[in-house]
Amino acid sequence: MDCCGGTDEHEDDCTEVTVKEGIDAKTVEAAKALESENYSAGFSTAIDMEFSPKGLSEDTIRFISAKKEEPEWLLDWRLAAYRRWLTMEEPTWAKVRYEPIDYQAYYYYAAPKSGAKYESIDDVPKEILETYEKLGIPLREAEVLLGVEGAAETAAAAREAPRVAVDAVFDSVSVATTFRKELEKAGVIFMSISEAVREHPELVKKYLGTVVPQSDNFFATLNSAVFSDGTFVYVPKGVRCPMELSTYFRMNAENTGQFERTLIVCDEGAYVSYLEGCTAPMRDENQLHAAVVELVALDDAEIKYSTVQNWWPGDEDGKGGIYNFVTKRGDCRGARSKISWTQVETGSAVTWKYPSCILRGDDSVGEFYSIAVTNGRQQADTGTKMIHLGKRTKSRIISKGISAGKSDNTYRGLVSINKRAEKARNFTQCDSLLIGGRCGAHTVPYVENRRADAQLEHEATTTKLSEDQLFYARQRGLGEEQAVALLVNGFVREVLQELPMEFAVEAQKLLEVSLEGSVG
Amino acid sequence: MSTALRDLIANPNAAELELIARYGMLPEDARRERAFEAFAKGGLPHRRVEGWHWSDFKASLPVIETPAQPGTAQDPLPADDAVLFSFTPTGFTWAESLPEGIRVLAKPEAQAFGASEDMPLGALAAALAGGKTKPGTLMIEVTGQDLPRLHFRFSGAGEANFARVQIIVRPGAKLAVSESYLGGAGFTASLMEFSLQAGAECSRTVYQRTGKAEVLAATAAVQLDEGADYRQTTLAFGGKLTRLETRLTHQETGAKATLNAAYLCADGHHADITTEVRHGAPSCVTRQLTKGAVLDGGRGVYQGKFFVPRNVGQKTDADMQHNALLLEEGAEVFAKPELEIYADNVECAHGNTSGALDANQMFYMRQRGIAEEEARALLTEAFIAEALEEAGELEDVLRVQARAWLAR
Repeated sequence: MDCCGGTDEHEDDCTEVTVKEGIDAKTVEAAKALESENYSAGFSTAIDMEFSPKGLSEDTIRFISAKKEEPEWLLDWRLAAYRRWLTMEEPTWAKVRYEPIDYQAYYYYAAPKSGAKYESIDDVPKEILETYEKLGIPLREAEVLLGVEGAAETAAAAREAPRVAVDAVFDSVSVATTFRKELEKAGVIFMSISEAVREHPELVKKYLGTVVPQSDNFFATLNSAVFSDGTFVYVPKGVRCPMELSTYFRMNAENTGQFERTLIVCDEGAYVSYLEGCTAPMRDENQLHAAVVELVALDDAEIKYSTVQNWWPGDEDGKGGIYNFVTKRGDCRGARSKISWTQVETGSAVTWKYPSCILRGDDSVGEFYSIAVTNGRQQADTGTKMIHLGKRTKSRIISKGISAGKSDNTYRGLVSINKRAEKARNFTQCDSLLIGGRCGAHTVPYVENRRADAQLEHEATTTKLSEDQLFYARQRGLGEEQAVALLVNGFVREVLQELPMEFAVEAQKLLEVSLEGSVG
Repeated sequence: MSTALRDLIANPNAAELELIARYGMLPEDARRERAFEAFAKGGLPHRRVEGWHWSDFKASLPVIETPAQPGTAQDPLPADDAVLFSFTPTGFTWAESLPEGIRVLAKPEAQAFGASEDMPLGALAAALAGGKTKPGTLMIEVTGQDLPRLHFRFSGAGEANFARVQIIVRPGAKLAVSESYLGGAGFTASLMEFSLQAGAECSRTVYQRTGKAEVLAATAAVQLDEGADYRQTTLAFGGKLTRLETRLTHQETGAKATLNAAYLCADGHHADITTEVRHGAPSCVTRQLTKGAVLDGGRGVYQGKFFVPRNVGQKTDADMQHNALLLEEGAEVFAKPELEIYADNVECAHGNTSGALDANQMFYMRQRGIAEEEARALLTEAFIAEALEEAGELEDVLRVQARAWLAR
C-alpha cells in the first residue's frame, strides 16, 4: 500500500499519502489543516530584548532571581534545585528521539527591554499588544468585553459573551494581566508568579513545590532552578471564580527556553476554570519549553484546566520546533475535590507531557481528556497518571491520538490504585488513528491495582461505560463500531465545546475527527 | 575474560557473581560468550529497566542457593504416553528410543541466539545450559504428524537449573509440547525456541507450580512461517518470582497464534506473564486471552505487546485481553497491555480489566440458593477456565488444578 514500497522507517520520501479506506475524510482534512505550512502563529515580533548571559550556571540563576527582585528563600530554593539537577540524568524512556540538548546554548531569561510589568495596558509596547492581537488574544479589557471581532453588537450579547481574564507571558516575563481589579473584588488572586512572590509570599511559600517537588524529574528540577514567569491563582473559600482565567504563553526570542511555573490553589468549595494557550515563531533551531504546573484543590474544590498547545512543530522535514517537556500535576488534596485536565495538542516538535492527578482526598475525582494530533516529523509521548490514594476516588481517561505524515504519537498512562483506596474506580479509553502508512501510533498503559474492590476498565470494555446508550444505538440499527464512535465522539465533543472560543480555534477544527478506521 | 564480563555488571550481587563464576567454568565457545555478554550487559534485570519494573530479579535473587523448603508439587501433566525430557540441577535425560518423526540432536556447542539483548534471562539460559560434558543445546526436529506429545519437566532440588531447547517443526508437521516447571532449584532459567515452518502446527501447554522460595524465568522464542498455527496455554501459580515470557514473530503471511494464560497467585507468590508479538508479515492473526485470580499477599503481573512494523505489518488482526480478579484485599495485579503500530490498515484491540467478581452474577447465584463461598468458587473457576479452553487434551488436567487451588 505504500507508494514507495520501501521498508525503511525514515527514508521514504514520497509525498502522496494513501489513506486507508474507511477513514473519515473530514478527519484527514482536519489533520491536514494542522500541517506546519498552515501554522498561522509562526511570525516573530521585532522588539528590543534583554537577555541573561547565555548558558546555565549559578550566576544565571542569581541573575534571574535578582531581575525578579526575589527574596533570599526563593533564590536558595532555586540554587538547591540547580545543584540537584546537575546530578540528574535526562530521561530516555519516552518513545521520542531528538538530538542531545546543549543546555549551555540557551538564554534562560529574555524580556522586553522596556521592563517586565507595565503600570497600565497603555504602557505595554505596541509590538507586544499587536502580537497578542494577531494571535486573537485581547489584552485590553474593553475589547475583551466587546469581543475582539466586534462580535457582541448589542448590550445583551455583550453580557452573554463569556469574559476571560488573561495573563500574557512573553518569553520570560508576564507583560499584562487583565481584569485583576474585578477579580480582586471576588477575592481571587490572579497575577504572575513573580508578583505573587512579592505580594503573597506566604501563599507561594506554602504551596510552591508541594505538588511537583524540586527533585521530581530532570525537567521539573531544571524548571525549579530557572523558572521565569507563569501564573499564580488563588481562589478563596467558597468562591466560584466569576470568569475564565487564562494564560497565553508566547515564545518569541531566538535561542531562548521558556520555563514558566504555574501554581493554582483552589480553597475549600472554590471553583476555577483555567485555560492555557501557547504558540511560538517558526525558527530553524529547536527551542526548549520546560514548564511546571501545580494545582491544589482543597475540600470540595474544583479546578478545570484546559490547554490548547500549539507550539511551532517544526517544518515538514523536522527542522526546528519546540521541545515541550512539561510536568503538570494536580493534587486533589481535599475530600470531594475534582481536577480535570483537557488538552488539545497539535504543536511542538517533541512532546513529553503527562498531566496527572493525585487523588488524595476521599471521594475526589480526576479526569483527563486529550486529543493529540501529530503531523510532519512530530513526536508526541503524552498521557496521564491517576494516582488513587483516597477512598472512593474516581478517575476517567479519554485519549485520542491521531498520527499523520511521518509522525509518532504515543499514549502513555498510569492508573495506580493504592492499598487504602477503597472502592476506587477508573475508566480508560484510548483510541489511535493512523493517516497514511508512514506514521506510528502507540499505546502504553500501566495499570496497578492493589484493591480487590476497585473497578478498573481499559479500552475494549467501552460498552461498560454506557451499556444502555450502546444498546439504544444498536437497536436503532447502528453497527457496534458506529455506535461506539458516535457515543465517544459525542462525549469528546462535549468536552471541547466547553473551551472558550478564543482558545478553541484549533480545537474546533478537530471536532470533525472520527473514530472510524481506528486501529485500537 | 570473565574479569571483563564482571565489569559489565554494575555492582554485582552475590547471585550475579555466582553466575559469572559458573560461566567461567564452561568450555570456551564464541556463541556461548555472545549469549552471556547479552545477559551481562545489564545483569539481572531490575525495576529500573522498562519491562522488568514489576518483576525485579536482582532484588528477588540476592544469592543462588538451594531453597530450604522447595516446592513439592507433583507433575499433573501425564507423561506415560509422552516423550519425556527431564531437566534437573544436575543435568538432563531423555528417552532412549524415539518414535519416527522426532529426531534429537544434542549439540556440544551452544547455538547462536538472536535478539538476545531483548531477552536477558533467555540469553542467560542459553549461556549456562549444558556443561563440560553435556550438550549446551538440545535440538529437536519434528517431521511427522501423528506423534506423541513431547513433555519437558523441570524439577529437582538444587541451586540452579538451566536449560535450552530448540524445536524445529518441519513443513506440514504437527506437534504437541508440554512443559512443567515444578521448582526445587533456587533459580531456574530456560529458553525454549520454536520454529514452525510452512503450514506446521504446534500446541504448547505450560504448567508452572513452585514453592515460595523459587525464582524462575522461562523464556520462549517462537517464529512462525507461512500459514503456521501455534497455540499456547499457560497455567501459572507463581513463586517467589516467576516470569513466563513469550516472544513470538509472525515472519511469513497468514500465520496464526493463540496465546492464552491463566495465573492464580496465593500469598507470597508472584507470577509474571509477559508476551511480545511481532507482526512481521501481512495478514497474520493473534488472539490473546489472559485471566488471573489473586489472593491476599499474591501479585499477578501481565505485560502484553503487539508490535506492527511499517508496510509488512499490514492487515494484521490482533486482539489482546487481560482480565483479573482480586479475590481478597491485599492482592495486587499490575498490567501493561501495549501497542506499537506503524501500519495503518490493521486491527489491533486490547482490553484490560481488574477488580472483584461481578456483583450481579453473585446475586444471581445466591438467589438460586448457592452458598456464597460456592458461588464465588464457581464464578471464579468459570472465569479462569475460559483461558484454558485451547489446551486440547490437557484442558481438563489444568482445570482440575485450577479448581483445586480455588477450593482451598
